[in-house]
Amino acid sequence: MKRVLGCKFYVLGWVVGLLCFSAATQEIRFGDARPGSRQNVELLTDAVEVRAGQAQVVELRFRVDPGFHINSHTPKDELLVPTVLKVDSGVDVAGVEYPAGAAFQLADGSTLDVYRGEFRVRVKLVAGAGKSVLTGALRYQACDGAACFPAKTLAVRVFVTGQ
Amino acid sequence: MVAVLGLVLWAGVYHWKSRREAKLKSELNEVTLTPANAGVDQSFGTDLRGKAAPAFSLKDVSGKTVSLADYKGRPVVVNFWATYCGPCREEMPWFQEFTQKYPGLVVLGLDEEDGVTVEQVKKAAARTAVTYPILMADEKTATSYSLGDFLPVSFYVDKNGVVVEQTAGVGSKDQMEASVRKIAGTE
Repeated sequence: MKRVLGCKFYVLGWVVGLLCFSAATQEIRFGDARPGSRQNVELLTDAVEVRAGQAQVVELRFRVDPGFHINSHTPKDELLVPTVLKVDSGVDVAGVEYPAGAAFQLADGSTLDVYRGEFRVRVKLVAGAGKSVLTGALRYQACDGAACFPAKTLAVRVFVTGQ
Repeated sequence: MVAVLGLVLWAGVYHWKSRREAKLKSELNEVTLTPANAGVDQSFGTDLRGKAAPAFSLKDVSGKTVSLADYKGRPVVVNFWATYCGPCREEMPWFQEFTQKYPGLVVLGLDEEDGVTVEQVKKAAARTAVTYPILMADEKTATSYSLGDFLPVSFYVDKNGVVVEQTAGVGSKDQMEASVRKIAGTE
């Protein structure tokens, strides 16, 4: 009897130990702990569906890191680097439309035209039936209120399904 | 029972690996922009305070060669900036003002960026109305000052050629003036 009880406690000990180990290794997140990154923009869209063989507008969603801004496609100053999406291959692109920027005032009184948070670039494209991959790059230049990074390029890769 | 325990164990190990990979990835990408008053951040690069300011000899926008050594015995602010940098252009008029307020103070504006022409730099500098020398920085100078990949960055060099203060990002005008006073001998 004692032997059976001892065996049960032994198994129970192992179960508790394994559960504790598992709990300690589970991913538990409180809020967004994502640190600032050298790439200050991310692509949120990874796949789109279109009607095969027909020109259609799809939206590519991008997000600028909190606290940062990038110049819009049409910055008010010729010395600033505009945001530009270049599509290399995968689909036929008939045009790219950029959203309007928002005003961002610097301490010296000058005003910039910028994207902050999420913004959407509309791409008019024609894709064949089946799956293809739109590849390209978004060029942008990011700043926060105190400093600026040089212009950078974000690789764009979106799966396109023509139906 | 064994299957459940196995599943729990596998899930734990899987999540632990995922977290470790995500942590490594975020550490690689991490950079912090610090205002000028926050001191030197690790992402800044080498702390040059207390060390001799790295020497350089560069062309200004009119083609004249300017060396740090030309200003031996005078306090110098070495300010790295770029034409695309709004915060840089914000602080440049303040540096101009300090050159008038603190006799003997020299400010050297080093444009640090790729693919820009001298004409573009001239144009950007003209908008700030600064009259101090604007130089075209090169890779060697940027490396010797251990610049990160953000601007502005400034080094406050005393009359003995020693870096007394270094700042990343734009601080307040008062904070910048406090740094100038450290090298101008008025503190």
